[in-house]
Amino acid sequence: MAAPTVEKVQEVREVTRIERIGAHSHIRGLGLDDALDARNVSQGMVGQVDARRAAGVILEMIKEGKIAGRACLIAGHPGTGKTAIAMAMAQALGTDTPFTSIAGSEIFSLEMSKTEALTQAFRKSIGVRIKEETEIIEGEVVEIQIDRPATGTGAKVGKLTLKTTEMETIYDLGQKMIESLTKEKVQAGDIITIDKATGKITKLGRSFTRARDYDAMGAQTKFVQCPEGELQKRKEVVHTVTLHEIDVINSRTQGFLALFSGDTGEIKSEVREQINSKVAEWREEGKAEIVPGVLFVDEVHMLDIECFSFLNRALEDDMAPILIMATNRGITRIRGTNYQSPHGIPIDLLDRLLIIATTPYDEKEIKQILKIRCEEEDVEMTDDALTVLTKIGMETSLRYAIQLITVASLVCRKRKGSEVDVDDIKRVYSLFLDESRSTQFLKEYQEEFMFNEMSGTAQSMETS
Amino acid sequence: METEQLLYHLAEIEELAEDIISDKHQMVELDKKRQKTREAIRLLSKDKKSQKTWVCFGNMFIKLPKEDTKKLLEKDFNGLDTEIADVSKGLKPKVNKLRDLEHKEDVKGFGLNAMSRDEIQAVEALL
Repeated sequence: MAAPTVEKVQEVREVTRIERIGAHSHIRGLGLDDALDARNVSQGMVGQVDARRAAGVILEMIKEGKIAGRACLIAGHPGTGKTAIAMAMAQALGTDTPFTSIAGSEIFSLEMSKTEALTQAFRKSIGVRIKEETEIIEGEVVEIQIDRPATGTGAKVGKLTLKTTEMETIYDLGQKMIESLTKEKVQAGDIITIDKATGKITKLGRSFTRARDYDAMGAQTKFVQCPEGELQKRKEVVHTVTLHEIDVINSRTQGFLALFSGDTGEIKSEVREQINSKVAEWREEGKAEIVPGVLFVDEVHMLDIECFSFLNRALEDDMAPILIMATNRGITRIRGTNYQSPHGIPIDLLDRLLIIATTPYDEKEIKQILKIRCEEEDVEMTDDALTVLTKIGMETSLRYAIQLITVASLVCRKRKGSEVDVDDIKRVYSLFLDESRSTQFLKEYQEEFMFNEMSGTAQSMETS
Repeated sequence: METEQLLYHLAEIEELAEDIISDKHQMVELDKKRQKTREAIRLLSKDKKSQKTWVCFGNMFIKLPKEDTKKLLEKDFNGLDTEIADVSKGLKPKVNKLRDLEHKEDVKGFGLNAMSRDEIQAVEALL
């Protein structure tokens, strides 16, 4: 009994994530050793040793459930791996801990108020673990015998013989069971389960030992092993659902289909309150566990003052997730006010945060990152080309250098080469401008562009 | 010194694992008994003719009145159910302890009480 239960528990929601090659698809984890020290190059992470260590400490606390309702801020220059660290934390947390990732600008929508969008993001990051327990009879059908009454009408009776590798038994069948067995087209050699409480029959497949019973068989015929152990077993399955999912199915105006269409609209606060109290009740009865997850808000400086004060309040809730924010701004105006503040975040919120700083990468690290990206994108590159690309990365930006990898490989393929060479890099470098060269170009030829007289006022229009 | 410690540790794991395996066997045996008892009760209740039936105790057959036999079997049957529940209840801490010794994490949600049928139905769409 124990072993099957354990397996079942682990099986929960192991859906392999299929990901396209994205900017951070090479990241598998934080790359820390057992003592939480960062290995210089590991699991797709390079450098940022201090920041990764700090993230690792926070991660351990999350795993142990020691912190809830805390927030941390990853601050650093553009292209220093802030999002990468957050992604690594998500990877390291595993599938059981809910992780929601949003960009700061995502909450500004016409269909939903800002606070509603934030609340939904918060509730998506809180999991509720519940257990389902069913008593089932599982076995291979040895024989079904159905006796029809001679008169033609009246109740049918029958017998069902089931076996596992260890035992065999006969069940007397009533009218209802016979009907559902015929409906499921159960025959000798099938592996079936019967839910004891509801009497629901599920066909799992055909037994391997019966594989040669017929020559011709439908392609959908599935063969399974004859079950082991006892016939009647207790099956326990643990599920983790998020509070938001429960909200959605209980919000009466939309059915659970809203979960899939993605457009959930606003959820009434009464619904949320009811669910909160129900979950609290389950917790009291030992029926549910709260799994505080992680909410990651990228570009957090895009939030305005109302959102910040909402965050302040929401973090005090006893079911708050761990909030991780990232920003690349220095001292700047808080959105929605005329006040300046570090990172564009009000001081009172900043005070609650654990701040992790990322530092610019050095040349060796940039080279390493470019190498990892080449592997991730299946691009072969000569050492010289990599050195040149690293130089470009140092002078312009890491992102620009990474973007050149794919285009360079396309140029290389066009000339039917197998490895990206220095010439390919040079060619794409002249084809695509980086940010500083583009600025340079604009400065030189500004007069020839349209509306150039507005350039003086454009600065004040940018943020409103 | 270290070898001794290691040996001790391994022995501890083996002992616990052995214990779990024997528990599992016991549960299979109990279920086997349970199914056979159930079959016997069914057969007895279907049989309308005879007043007495043969019952085997150890290696001796004794003829007993049908009603008495049925009562005996039913008592056995109920006893078996609780016995199986007991064994499976005892298994959980053992498995957890074994995982602990093997430095694995506890199985998540192992200690939870199960949801009732209505409650599961309410969230079924999510599972």
